[in-house]
Amino acid sequence: MLFFSFFKTLIDHDVTVELKNDIQIRGILKSVDQYLNIKLEDISVVDELKYPHLSAVKNIFIRGSVVRYVHLPAAAVDIPLLEDATRREAANQAGKAK
Amino acid sequence: MENGNTSQSEGKDPSGFLGEITGNPVIVKLNSGVVYKGELQSVDGYMNIALEKTEEYVNGVKRRSYGDAFVRGNNVMYISADS
Amino acid sequence: MPEEESAPVAEPLDLVRLLLDEIVCVKLRGDRELKGRLHAYDGHCNMVLGDVEETIYVVEDEGDEEEVKTVSRKSEMLFVRGDSVVLIAPQARSS
Repeated sequence: MLFFSFFKTLIDHDVTVELKNDIQIRGILKSVDQYLNIKLEDISVVDELKYPHLSAVKNIFIRGSVVRYVHLPAAAVDIPLLEDATRREAANQAGKAK
Repeated sequence: MENGNTSQSEGKDPSGFLGEITGNPVIVKLNSGVVYKGELQSVDGYMNIALEKTEEYVNGVKRRSYGDAFVRGNNVMYISADS
Repeated sequence: MPEEESAPVAEPLDLVRLLLDEIVCVKLRGDRELKGRLHAYDGHCNMVLGDVEETIYVVEDEGDEEEVKTVSRKSEMLFVRGDSVVLIAPQARSS
């Protein structure tokens, strides 16, 4: 649940989603679910000449499993809060994989 | 089911073997063909692995070394005791 | 539920826990490597890294010579989906 909660704090921020097929889509993060599926609005495709097929699309739903990276605005991330949440989650999850 | 005296790991489930070799030198081969040699710190149910004094080999050639290394289990082909 | 705050390395992910807020080297599928500060991770190896440098190793076929080129990119804050992760280590000593 850590990253689901984390992404919810980034809603309405500008992000760039990089897919496993190398396409990068920039847009405003509008929603996210527990699978880290992502809905972006007002999108543009980085390197549009190479990947022209999305140029008519405004809004997009991205299946979480095809995501490689999400580039985030550092200013929108509260690092101490995020690290504390990670430690808490790690303490809760300890031993689950045994 | 009990067939008398066997060596320690026979008859148990396979991960019993992993418990026996923790702390020992191991060879971990990944699906990509890359090989890691090091001391086995721990393994979990996903076959995630923590290694110490790790050396990385690509095509049999040593590429680099890591003090500690965490290997994500889904990439693991096998873990073998390094004698 | 007893919380062992800094328990020793009893399971592999404990090693990653000890790297929180440290600079780590992450190997990914597709001949990629990241170096950056670890701000978050979970049991799938999803991660957030800060001040990241990504290195991509590309094999170029120049006639009959194969040479490995590297491409570098930077990102100020990066979420990495865990299913691409192969290995996590403290900052590499040699390369």
